[in-house]
Amino acid sequence: MSVNGPAFLLPRMTTTVRARQDEFERVAMPHSPSLLRVARQLARDAPAAEDLVQDTLLRAWRSFDQFQTGTNAKAWLFRIMFNRFRAVRRKVRGRAVTVSLDQAGAEPNGPGEPGLALNEMAAITQALAALSPEHRTVLLLGVVEGFSCRELAEILSIPIGTVMSRLSRARRALRERLAPTSGRERSAAVCSEREVRELQ
Amino acid sequence: MNCSEIARLAPLYITGELEAQRAAEFDQHLRTCSSCIEEVQRQARLDARLRDVILAQKTDVAEVDRRVRDLIAAQVKGHRLPRLWPAWRRGATLAMGFAAALVLIVAGYGSFSRRPPRVYSDAATDHRLEVIERQPRPWLNDPEEIASLAAQQGIAPSALHAILTEGYHLVRAKLCYLDRRTFLHLVVSDGTRETSIYLRPHDGKPLSGPVREIANGKPLCTSDLDQVHVASVETAELVAIVVTEQSADAARDLARFAAAVL
Repeated sequence: MSVNGPAFLLPRMTTTVRARQDEFERVAMPHSPSLLRVARQLARDAPAAEDLVQDTLLRAWRSFDQFQTGTNAKAWLFRIMFNRFRAVRRKVRGRAVTVSLDQAGAEPNGPGEPGLALNEMAAITQALAALSPEHRTVLLLGVVEGFSCRELAEILSIPIGTVMSRLSRARRALRERLAPTSGRERSAAVCSEREVRELQ
Repeated sequence: MNCSEIARLAPLYITGELEAQRAAEFDQHLRTCSSCIEEVQRQARLDARLRDVILAQKTDVAEVDRRVRDLIAAQVKGHRLPRLWPAWRRGATLAMGFAAALVLIVAGYGSFSRRPPRVYSDAATDHRLEVIERQPRPWLNDPEEIASLAAQQGIAPSALHAILTEGYHLVRAKLCYLDRRTFLHLVVSDGTRETSIYLRPHDGKPLSGPVREIANGKPLCTSDLDQVHVASVETAELVAIVVTEQSADAARDLARFAAAVL
């Protein structure tokens, strides 16, 4: 929406734009922590994650007129973010995804995080980073962000049956990587050839 | 309901999306099958661990929120924003460049890769050749001749003085071509180091670059190219590109100053 127009319309248009900005602040901006939390697990590094979220929110702002008030804004924003993420990934398809522990955002809130030992945090963060982006995505959205399978299907534009099987496989893969007998201690997690093929 | 159905439907059961009758059948099976109930409980425990770990990580959105609000405000005020060219796209560029290099090595065959906006790479090359390496060029040194040249290009001579932040003075100037457009190349100095400032009138088309901030209501873009730092700012009348080998902060500070005075 532009504020340019005949002078007699300007006060009304300015009000409309301001109301739209206020509405966007109320509806979309509160979800930026969730977007960034997930983006940090998907993007190369922290700046790339921030840029992905910035891009997502600006695209959401530009198409805010298409958002239906009362519908799930968080799911709408995640759908925009995953469309962008997929578009970028298509361009670099075929490369192995390397994620370091630092990049995976294993920084706790502070010392003495109740109930969570640092090695537990590191192990889970590392295991999650080692999963394929598809598996990481369904776990982050379904388990951490609390989306239902139907919402996941809509966000990721895949059938609900695929969501269910992907969630099951992702949980199994995460558990295998966390199993003490697996001996998969890795400082950096690299997608296996099979996982890279799965991306393609 | 058998064990394989339980495994298939478990995601819907966990999220509470299973319809009532199926959920009842699911519960009934769990009451009689110890391996399935153990499996579902294991999944629930793993979910809880994962949730706790991810939610415990620090997520500071202040910087992203600030950038988004600034960019929206600038757009509302009618500023044309440069096309987004964020870091993940630069990552894609690097990956594509790497892939292209591999193709070159393996197959000995040329390929294309995405590069930073050409006007930035042209400015960086120009600065390197003409300022760092000091290759001979026909420069103007006389302030009046420089002002006259600026006026011919549609740049107010007052702008030449305005952009000189404290401690800097204008050393020399000439015309140059960056991305097939004519720019006035000013070389300014703080007494120890020379910096390039490229100016041209704005033609209404925004530069393509990574918007890092809104400086004085104007989009400011930055790019680091082969140890040379580029920052650009666009006003309604002018495009200004700062190039220095000093630091990214130095380039950004001069662009900020230009945003404030132009």
